[in-house]
Amino acid sequence: MADILGGMIKIVKSKMFALIVLLAILSTIVQIGSNGIFLHPINIRTILDMMIITGMMTIGATLLLIAGALDLSVGTVGTMAGMMFAVLLRYHHFHWAVALILCLALAAVFGLINATLVNFAKFPAFIATLGMASVAEGVSFLFSGGANVSLSDPFMRNLATGRFMNNTIPFSIIILLVFFIVYGIILSKTKFGRQIYLVGSNPTASRLVGINSRRISYILFINSSVLGAFAGIMFNSRVAAATTLGITDRQFFGLIAAILGGVSFGGGTGGLGGAFVGLLIFSAFANGMFLLRVDSFWNQAIFGMLLLVSLAFDYMRSRATYRSPRAKRKSKKTTTTA
Amino acid sequence: MENSSKEKKVHGTQSLGSYILNHKVTLLIVVTIVVIVFFRLMNPNYLGWQNVLILLTITSFVGLLGLGVGLLLISGQIDLSTGAIAVMAAVLVAMLISSGIPWPIAALITILFGAAAGGITAILVNGLGMMSFIATIGMMSVWGGLALVLTRGNPVTINNPGFWAIADIRFFQSIPLLFIIMLFFVALYGFILSQTRFGRSVYIVGGNPTAARLAGINPKKIQSILFINSGAISAFCGVLFASNFRRGDPVAITLGMDAVTAAVLGGISFSGGAGGTGGFLVGLLLLNFFNNGLMMIGIGPYWQTIARGAILIAALMLDFFRERQRAKALRAGAAEIAAAKSQ
Amino acid sequence: MPNYVEFNKISKGFPGVQALDDVSFRVQGGRICALMGENGAGKSTMLKILSGDYQADEGTIIIDGMPASYHSPHGALKASISVIYQERQLVPGLSVMENIFIEDLPKKGIRIDKAALRKMTQHILDEFELDVNPSEPVGRLSVAHQQMIEIMKAYRRDSEIIAFDEPTAPLSESEINTLFKVIRRLKEAGKVIIYVSHRMSEIFQISDDIVVLKDGKLVCELNADETTEQELITAMVGRDIGDTYAELCRNENIGEVMLEVRNLETDDVHDINLEVRAGEIVGFAGLIGAGRTELARAIFAADPISSGEIFLNGQKVNFKSPKDAIAAGMALCPEDRKEQGLVLDRTINNNITSAVLEKVKTGLFLDKKKERKLSHAAVEKYSIKTPSIEKKVVELSGGNQQKVILGRWTSEAMVTKVLILDEPTKGIDVGAKAEIYQAICDFAKAGLAVIFISSELTEVINLADRIIVMAQGRITGSLSRQEATEEKVLKLAMHH
Repeated sequence: MADILGGMIKIVKSKMFALIVLLAILSTIVQIGSNGIFLHPINIRTILDMMIITGMMTIGATLLLIAGALDLSVGTVGTMAGMMFAVLLRYHHFHWAVALILCLALAAVFGLINATLVNFAKFPAFIATLGMASVAEGVSFLFSGGANVSLSDPFMRNLATGRFMNNTIPFSIIILLVFFIVYGIILSKTKFGRQIYLVGSNPTASRLVGINSRRISYILFINSSVLGAFAGIMFNSRVAAATTLGITDRQFFGLIAAILGGVSFGGGTGGLGGAFVGLLIFSAFANGMFLLRVDSFWNQAIFGMLLLVSLAFDYMRSRATYRSPRAKRKSKKTTTTA
Repeated sequence: MENSSKEKKVHGTQSLGSYILNHKVTLLIVVTIVVIVFFRLMNPNYLGWQNVLILLTITSFVGLLGLGVGLLLISGQIDLSTGAIAVMAAVLVAMLISSGIPWPIAALITILFGAAAGGITAILVNGLGMMSFIATIGMMSVWGGLALVLTRGNPVTINNPGFWAIADIRFFQSIPLLFIIMLFFVALYGFILSQTRFGRSVYIVGGNPTAARLAGINPKKIQSILFINSGAISAFCGVLFASNFRRGDPVAITLGMDAVTAAVLGGISFSGGAGGTGGFLVGLLLLNFFNNGLMMIGIGPYWQTIARGAILIAALMLDFFRERQRAKALRAGAAEIAAAKSQ
Repeated sequence: MPNYVEFNKISKGFPGVQALDDVSFRVQGGRICALMGENGAGKSTMLKILSGDYQADEGTIIIDGMPASYHSPHGALKASISVIYQERQLVPGLSVMENIFIEDLPKKGIRIDKAALRKMTQHILDEFELDVNPSEPVGRLSVAHQQMIEIMKAYRRDSEIIAFDEPTAPLSESEINTLFKVIRRLKEAGKVIIYVSHRMSEIFQISDDIVVLKDGKLVCELNADETTEQELITAMVGRDIGDTYAELCRNENIGEVMLEVRNLETDDVHDINLEVRAGEIVGFAGLIGAGRTELARAIFAADPISSGEIFLNGQKVNFKSPKDAIAAGMALCPEDRKEQGLVLDRTINNNITSAVLEKVKTGLFLDKKKERKLSHAAVEKYSIKTPSIEKKVVELSGGNQQKVILGRWTSEAMVTKVLILDEPTKGIDVGAKAEIYQAICDFAKAGLAVIFISSELTEVINLADRIIVMAQGRITGSLSRQEATEEKVLKLAMHH
């Protein structure tokens, strides 16, 4: 019993270990390259400040990926919600809480439509969410009329930029950690979480043991949109304005962080612990680019490459898992050909 | 028993709905005409030559990109990076021409770049086993991003009347050469798809990979060729784009999604193995007449963006219903036979 | 030149089962050889080896004295071997003529020569007396016509060796007649023809020689003219019923009706009426595709039903999904263990508790202790061979995988009243089979109503209290264990 547990921990550790080593190497490079600025407390605080935005999207992406789906509309839906939030506050003088609820509700509607397209019309998730991304972008423009809207609600601004303890620990990172822990517990400790893994590994078998995979899909798509919306609103609160670009250019950050963190593209594997380390790696990387003065024009291209690299990692990982049986079969084949 | 084989034809009785779904091209033509008449009534300038010129020009760009995507869709893959490759190509050709390279050579180099870009995608998909949609989304970021890097976000103007001329040539004072080029490619690809062995093997790969292997066709090889083709034709589109606007603009609107929409709208199935360039052309015209019509009756760009997504989803819905119809018909046929036999 | 193909000492094993064991026979050109045997006798494996899909573990295929040396389906085609499977290898978007000539479309310059193609196709269509337009996309044809196109594909290749796997399954009488005419013409042309079918009448109508397989071994080679139907059935059934069944500890107390199905109709099964009592094992026999799996899925609400009623314990039930069925006490061990029965990438523990997650909770959370208790109980009860319940199911043998599924449905957290087992012993070695047989008897003893679907006749006849036979989506007969013989069951199953 005890050694079973020990074995389990070992496995988890070894995967985690590889990720942490990667993080350490990356940090060392950036630390040296930036003449020691990288690990300076002020810089670390900067990294933590921004982490909630990618972090929220990472949670949404992780859950969907484990269930075997993905959401490419999260960035635009987030931007749309952020824009709506700013417009409601500035031009319609809503209370921040009411506006927040309305914005999250709108995002939930987008998640609902995504899920309907995937579950009833049987669209591949990527194309359904890409189509909805376009709709969200248009709706966002409708709110803003194409202009940026300043945003200065004190509560939200404080939430996004405020810090505890002598201005050291950002509120936002605490919120993010709470989210990661709560979602992590849901994923690893509850019935719902277990069902996500089962559905992602084998939807047919899951249905035959009485799991309602549609319900799970609906919840996760809506969850992804709502978390995206929250990220969009936090971003706008942070920069004190809702821009038409918003977090659209961060579309794939959550996806990249999750895949870097060992959440497989095929569904059924990975977890939020790994995803969190993936998020740290991603954030360190993004900050490193800034510290090493990589021209910001490079951002888009580099993040595109990072997405591809993380996918290549994912491919190699899945190959490594399945290599042994496949190799066996092959060797058998060669000996048997008459 | 003698005529039982005739009775068993699956489409013996057809509802109006299934007729429409099975004759999608006819439907599309009707819808296109309705769209044109509607917008003409709403705005007399809709069919004015100035607007038609704009319409045909943009149709040409979407059409060229759509051909690359369309062929890939038939073979069971997708390319979402076409728009970004076109933008990158426009920037590249502009920079090459600005650096004094004669425009034909610059254009050629750019098209080769496009082929190479398609080759990279092919390696990611066929070599590294990535799904084509996510690989091409990654490539979309890479090429769009590189265009920004190369230009630092500023358009590169082209000062070469010879190069401008490509886009300026008109037939009958209204039909741009670009449109003729696009039609030429539609015809060329239509010919390849329907008349050559390679063309038919594209359908075989997309329709039944097992049958393809049995017939000695390598699906990866066919798909790789199509990725390279898609990259090359997208780059070619980018060259024409640059000629038309006399500059390479890294933040130009990307038409990659419109290309996918046009292909699916024109009956190229998302599940592979079905569709052709005839339907594609109609879908393309419908999409562009519609988009342009929205603009002409004063619908703001915001609603147009929403319409973009909505039309894509609508086109996919149509595709979905047609596939389901087909599956149902087959099942009904099988049940009929079983019933006939057990008597 | 005498043309022949010889299977020389062919053996092929899969994990847990020896599909073919040292099988040798020869098929002469100009004669039609029927390959016969029950489901699982090894016929399909033999065809797949012939077509290059599988490689034999041992033995060779000799064609005209030369050992064959191909390793892929494409290679087999090149070696002039065509195998026509039940699953059609057609491209729905391509026309009839393009499908028929899929590997070598005639060219004229760079174009496909459509005129020539149409002419050649029309010629074949005429030979087959099939009235379809050569330019029609194959996807629009009926299943029967598609099957004919598939046969034409092989026909026009002019292969020297042609094998048919149940070619008549979707065909009507007149089409079968045409097909037989064509096959006879092929025979006259001196081709080697191997014919697999379950329909007795056909076999005697078309074949010259009959090769009988059982459990992967060659039973005998017969001459069709000198053999009666009865003799053939006896040869197929064999006489090697082991002592396994005698040693089983059976249930003697059969109780009230637990499951009743009235007038059930779905897309695949028709007019189904049946009863299963508590403590009763009802065996379902029939050929592959007879509708047994479809019936099981319909009862379990995995597939929609068009009409009919289901009663559980006297109460009418209306399940919307497997979830409802499970909650009411139904359980299904599906035929395809790996694709439908198990989540292979997850642990034994996860698989066993997957249907009872609600019951292993403490408060909001899953209780690892309760989970482990259930899993350990299952591992012990069925002596599942594994070092740990945290091992992934994919790493277990077939028999142990099946036991994991049984463990899931019979754990103490379940309220299973009706257990449907669809081919539970498929691909499982003999030792594990005996254990599963005893487990099934134990379920009956515990008062469960058991539906036991199997394509192994011996197994159904010896295990079940009552045997229901299905053919073509309908129930064709019901026999008690006392009156059931393999001959009787086989006759009902081939009812046509």
